[in-house]
Amino acid sequence: MAPGIRPLHDGTMNALLATRPRRLPRWSWGVLLPLVMALSLTLWGFRYSTLVVVLLAVIISYTVPAVAADLLPIALINLGVHWLIGGVHLARSGTPVPASAAGGSSGVGGLISSYQSIAANPAYNSNGVHFVIFGAPTSATDMTTVAVIEATAGLAVVLFGLWLIPRTLGVHTGLVKRNSELSTRVQKLAATRVDAVDTAARELRRVERDLHDGAQARLVALGISLRATERLIKTNPDAAAALVAEARENSAKALAELRDLVRGINPPVLAERGLGDAIRALALDAQVATTVEIDLPGRPPAPVESAVYFAVAEILANAAKHADAGTVHILAAHSAGMLRIEVSDNGAGGADPALGTGLLGVERRLGTFDGILAVSSPPGGPTIVVIEVPCALSSPKTFSC
Amino acid sequence: MRVVIAEDLFLLREGLASLLKQHDFDIAEAVDNGPALLRALLGQRPDIAIVDVRLPPTYSDEGLRAALEARSQVPGLPILVLSQHVEQLYARELLADQAGGVGYLLKDRVFTDEQFIDALHTVARGGTVMDPEVVAKLLARPSNQKPVTRLTDREREVLALMAEGRSNSAIAQRLFVTEKAVSKHCTSIFAKLDLPPSDDDNRRVLAVLAYLNS
Repeated sequence: MAPGIRPLHDGTMNALLATRPRRLPRWSWGVLLPLVMALSLTLWGFRYSTLVVVLLAVIISYTVPAVAADLLPIALINLGVHWLIGGVHLARSGTPVPASAAGGSSGVGGLISSYQSIAANPAYNSNGVHFVIFGAPTSATDMTTVAVIEATAGLAVVLFGLWLIPRTLGVHTGLVKRNSELSTRVQKLAATRVDAVDTAARELRRVERDLHDGAQARLVALGISLRATERLIKTNPDAAAALVAEARENSAKALAELRDLVRGINPPVLAERGLGDAIRALALDAQVATTVEIDLPGRPPAPVESAVYFAVAEILANAAKHADAGTVHILAAHSAGMLRIEVSDNGAGGADPALGTGLLGVERRLGTFDGILAVSSPPGGPTIVVIEVPCALSSPKTFSC
Repeated sequence: MRVVIAEDLFLLREGLASLLKQHDFDIAEAVDNGPALLRALLGQRPDIAIVDVRLPPTYSDEGLRAALEARSQVPGLPILVLSQHVEQLYARELLADQAGGVGYLLKDRVFTDEQFIDALHTVARGGTVMDPEVVAKLLARPSNQKPVTRLTDREREVLALMAEGRSNSAIAQRLFVTEKAVSKHCTSIFAKLDLPPSDDDNRRVLAVLAYLNS
């Protein structure tokens, strides 16, 4: 987009672009994760906490994949810390402590005393971590070896968990970003779909009304004139001839109205020649002297052609009606998968798209194709309107006889 | 006079053919698609061809393209183009070779058969006939440049009627003036548009072209 181009303030596309997903800073996770870890230790205690965290991770991974990714290092660190504390405690005490000696106080002191008691409990030894790794220990010496190995393994697992954090954080932000982009996309698609359906319905109503008030009424009049002619043709040939002339006039008017209607639905030049020549035809018919510079090696898809054609027609009409422009220049080109039309005039400027419904309608129609419309119109002019629609061009049609 | 007709709608093609026969035209060939039209134009070399813009196989502007192609091979081959809609863009393309013998009318003009037959004769003679709707669009357009701005209102009126393919006597009738007055206007128009003296039909074509390019 050229510098100085101001996007429409209430344009759907521009509003959505402004609310792009933002990343959480990495340091916040560095604070948050240890906090969560400490909390999980305090709340869930010792024996099942790792299992609970893993289970939670599995459940959450089905609903919030981004958080599940974070839970893996948490679970590992949790496990490692258990081993470490258990190992250190065993090394210090050397012999199992009876379960009855366990303290019941709360807080960090309570936490540690509960570790001490549980680690020393034979019941724990028969189904806990020690048992899993080494089998049931039989003597104090055995317990010391177990304690050293266990503490070392615990430290390794903690370090591995810490090493994993930045990696899973990357996964987390990626997932969050993707999620946010997808929801933005869904919102936009929902909005443009409503616009597209509304526009189509409005167009159909207009066509129906025009046919009803125009061609249909003329054909009724035609039928009446013909019936009257039928009655008069022998008795009053002069009156009959006048009625026939009237009927012919009516049929010509009906044709003219149908022609205008067709122009509003699918302009014939657009159908016959494509966007480039249709814009040239618009320029020739414009109320303001208009020059064109068109570089389109093929044709965009028909719906895009149509939307862009009516957009250019609206912009040209505005330039003539409101801007009091003396000349208009239209540039049309396609590069890197983007169709770009620039309409500039030397009029009074000061065009505010928010005030008129014309340009907003154009923007909505282009939005269906992920197209955008931007207006730069400082007071005193010049006004530049840019349309961009992502699309591919089909190869030019070849004609041979 | 030998005519080639290119029209894909059967009813319209037969209707045109019977209308033309009533006016002593001789139907050399009636075709219904672009490639056949080009063959007919180049093979038959008719005195006049009536061509629908939109023809099979692509239903785009095959008729117009065939007409332009034939005229590029046979300059001045008289062709009257008919269409459901008229475009200045197409009018310019038809007139661009400046060879004359070109007409461009809405299909409904066929209803008024005298005028339609007149138009056919004008084009066959090498004249130019533009639909009043094309001319009206030109009149509506503010021309802020070039020699056409030097014309008086009356001269613009005369030029507009000239573009519709009317003869001096028809213009005189329409404007309620004498034919002599019209020919005076014409001379003045040709002078103001810097058209060198040459045969009248050719100058009329050039004047219309200058008008279209204004």
